[in-house]
Amino acid sequence: MASMVNPADINPRQVANKSDKKALLDAIRMTLSVQSPAVRRNTQTFNRNRYAATALLPDYNELKDRARQIKENAIANLPELLQQLEASVRANGGHFYLAKTAADADQYIRDVLLRHEAKLVVKGKSITSEEIKLNHALEAAGITVAETDLAEFILQVADEQPSHIIAPALHYSRERITALFKRKFTTDLPLDTGEELTKFAREKLRQQFIAADAGISGANLIAADSGSLMLVESEGNIRMTMTLPPLHIALAGIEKVVPSRTDFGTFIELLPRSGTGQPLTSYVSILHPPLKAPPFAAPGKATKPREFHLVLIDNGRNRMREDPILQEALYCIRCSACMNCCANFETVGGHAFGGETYSGGIGGSWEAGTGTLMNARFSELCTGCSRCVTQCPVRIGIPWLNENLRQRMNFGHPESGVKSAFGAMTGSAPEDRVAPLQKQFFANYHVMAGEAARFPTMANAVTRLPLVRGLMESVVGLDRRRKLPPFPRKTWQQLYGDQLPGDRARAAKSSADVLMFADVFTNYGSPERGMAAMRVMREVGVNVELSPSLPDGRAAISQGMIATAREQANALAKTLLPYLEKGTVVCVLEPSVLAMFRSDYEHLLDAATWEKFTRASFQEPLQLVLSIGKDQGLDLSQIFPVSKSPQGTRIFYHSHCQQRSCDAAWQTVEILRSCGFDVVTSSVECCGMAGSFGYKREYYELSMAVGEDLFAQVRAAEQQGGPRTLVASGTSCHEQLWAGMGREVMHPVELLVSTLG
Amino acid sequence: MQPAMAQASLVEEFTAAAIQAVATVQVIDRSSAALCSAILQTVGDASRILYAPPQELPASLFSEFAADPRVQANATPDEMINSAAGVTEAFAAVASTGSVCIDVSFERTGIVSLMAPLQVVVVAAETIVPQPRDLFRADVLDGRGLKRDFVFVTGPSATADMGPLVRGVHGPHKLHIIALR
Repeated sequence: MASMVNPADINPRQVANKSDKKALLDAIRMTLSVQSPAVRRNTQTFNRNRYAATALLPDYNELKDRARQIKENAIANLPELLQQLEASVRANGGHFYLAKTAADADQYIRDVLLRHEAKLVVKGKSITSEEIKLNHALEAAGITVAETDLAEFILQVADEQPSHIIAPALHYSRERITALFKRKFTTDLPLDTGEELTKFAREKLRQQFIAADAGISGANLIAADSGSLMLVESEGNIRMTMTLPPLHIALAGIEKVVPSRTDFGTFIELLPRSGTGQPLTSYVSILHPPLKAPPFAAPGKATKPREFHLVLIDNGRNRMREDPILQEALYCIRCSACMNCCANFETVGGHAFGGETYSGGIGGSWEAGTGTLMNARFSELCTGCSRCVTQCPVRIGIPWLNENLRQRMNFGHPESGVKSAFGAMTGSAPEDRVAPLQKQFFANYHVMAGEAARFPTMANAVTRLPLVRGLMESVVGLDRRRKLPPFPRKTWQQLYGDQLPGDRARAAKSSADVLMFADVFTNYGSPERGMAAMRVMREVGVNVELSPSLPDGRAAISQGMIATAREQANALAKTLLPYLEKGTVVCVLEPSVLAMFRSDYEHLLDAATWEKFTRASFQEPLQLVLSIGKDQGLDLSQIFPVSKSPQGTRIFYHSHCQQRSCDAAWQTVEILRSCGFDVVTSSVECCGMAGSFGYKREYYELSMAVGEDLFAQVRAAEQQGGPRTLVASGTSCHEQLWAGMGREVMHPVELLVSTLG
Repeated sequence: MQPAMAQASLVEEFTAAAIQAVATVQVIDRSSAALCSAILQTVGDASRILYAPPQELPASLFSEFAADPRVQANATPDEMINSAAGVTEAFAAVASTGSVCIDVSFERTGIVSLMAPLQVVVVAAETIVPQPRDLFRADVLDGRGLKRDFVFVTGPSATADMGPLVRGVHGPHKLHIIALR
């Protein structure tokens, strides 16, 4: 699988288009080897700043709701808005052009420039211009294009595609920029600091601003009622581009149109905070060009009247608008929050987790929408961790978009007898049996685990055999370097049946307050943890019953096997509904399953059943314990006396990504601290395991590289005062920490049970 | 809160936010002499000062400053390229972000506020609004933000594209705000 090319020698352009899987794998190797430190530093800075800046907005959630509403209405009424916008632009004295394709847009812009005999064009940052490969089209017509955004300037010098939507050269460290400039320019300047590099580029570009015949900008938003543009920047190059030359061309996708300039009020609060994490960037321009102020005439040049062209491109967007899934991507305001809070993106950036133009979680939908489906292959790197859903200012359900892209890619695979037979045997829905064996294997984990549970000793012995691991690697792509957690002797269901006959009888007689959901991961993998959760419940006086163990659809949906997930979800809903209708609280130990019940099922159940789910109460165990403790005035430190714990008080706690997205993580920390534990928490977005992701042979290195941030935080916490007990709430997080730290990991419920003696 | 007190707390919030955004802020009395001395002190020994006369504030406020021989209200392109400072008014400011709003639709205000390394902005304290979104309301400042071409300016120009954060890129390296009581 690994190609022989040295990863450092792989050119980003050569692996930009990932319709060939080898390009994706090479890009991962290249970015891990060359770009990862800069990408990590820059995205994680944006990420921290965004959390801090949005926390200062008292009505952050209301603003997000309003932004979503504005975009939904705008996309629904797009044809009318475009007509209104055209009239507004013309009334302002500007020109309006709606380009059907990338080539149409390129040709229009080229013709306008040639009509003006423009020789030199200065450009502000426009990712849309990358989409239509505008520079190439203009240069072919003999027009010199000067990229003036410093990141775009770097990319133009290096001939690379953007790796991030607002900081397109964020994969470059200062040291690599110095090396690049020294290679490409003849200069005696040392260029060894950010200041020197900036000064060098500024002086070069200042001459071009002055001499430019025309300026090309993008636009962050466009108001139909007035033809107003909103442009967000910090360098001042966009202002120069729009202010100095007499001819200004603004280029944007049709999805940037909102009804009214008053709508800018919502987005101006959200966009900079969600992007760089600044309250506002240095310059936010609100203009309805052509500007009334006279243009700048360079010394010795004649003054020309101002002229403005607004060029909007369709290039697949109207098709996206008709697509019930991809439509949602048109709400994107291109802030980059979804990239900066994505653990995989933070580790490799957009040259691996991205295509020719667009990158990150949302990028797959854009590459598929403006190009072809297979251009979205990099969206495989979306693990569905859902962190982005909570951070998106327009609340786009990015994992759901990617799961659908994955389904469409699965459907593109040829049918085969082996896959059909394997699918039929393991429980794939008939239409999903065309999916690759690896996907069907991971989607139907519960079937394999169920078989192994019948003969655990044999299963453990067999899966340790190198020959078997080799076979598993070559047939279903399970990486042989991953240690497999052993199958326990008994399942959760069996332990529950064995050890609690009295409790079962009681629960059956007087209906239980709480139904503990026996998710398949805990049932087959960590039954003791499940029993510990039930014991904790009972210690706080809850009468708890265990549900049957049924697949919930998480594993299937993550493989893009939506039909299979739907079958599983509906079967499970039938089992749960009687409880939900009685008002029984359902307690869910595995956060990825909790997230299914709380949100993903919206896509898998019929509307009436989903409505019942939205009214039901699904709780993470410690979330439930905390609320019961508060309701009943329990002193949890008396019930779970830390002094009795053989683990000591020093804890390192890592919450699960989906647990945090469900707002069900802080409760664990609060309980552990109130019981007297000394808790250090991780601050990583995701451990990198993400269900099956870290088991796949093609993503093993990436998964471990993501995990390294978490492992480093453990090591840092243990620098002072020695080891800490590792505690985590998700099955995947346990496996990842176990792999990275080489020691056992507890669940918070097990830690609490350890205090009971 | 009394209107006067509310205004005073907005000035305070504005000042703190502008400093956070690495601008410098000075609150002075509203007189031609005080304004002239504040601006000249800021520009130091600059040999040429670009100046875009105001549309909102009375021109008389700037009369003493405009009389300085280094001040250029009608600079040639060559002079615009080679000036140390640019002085304009702002028609509004934003307390939560420390931004000043510069109308770029008249004369050369856009260029004067952009090309020189030192940017000086004069704003009336009573035009400070709480949040950026207020500029997009018809009932704030007579809805001026809904009609004009303007720029929210928050601190000096900056970039993080060259590795560390660098202030002073294509636009001004320094922003000094003079708020008039």
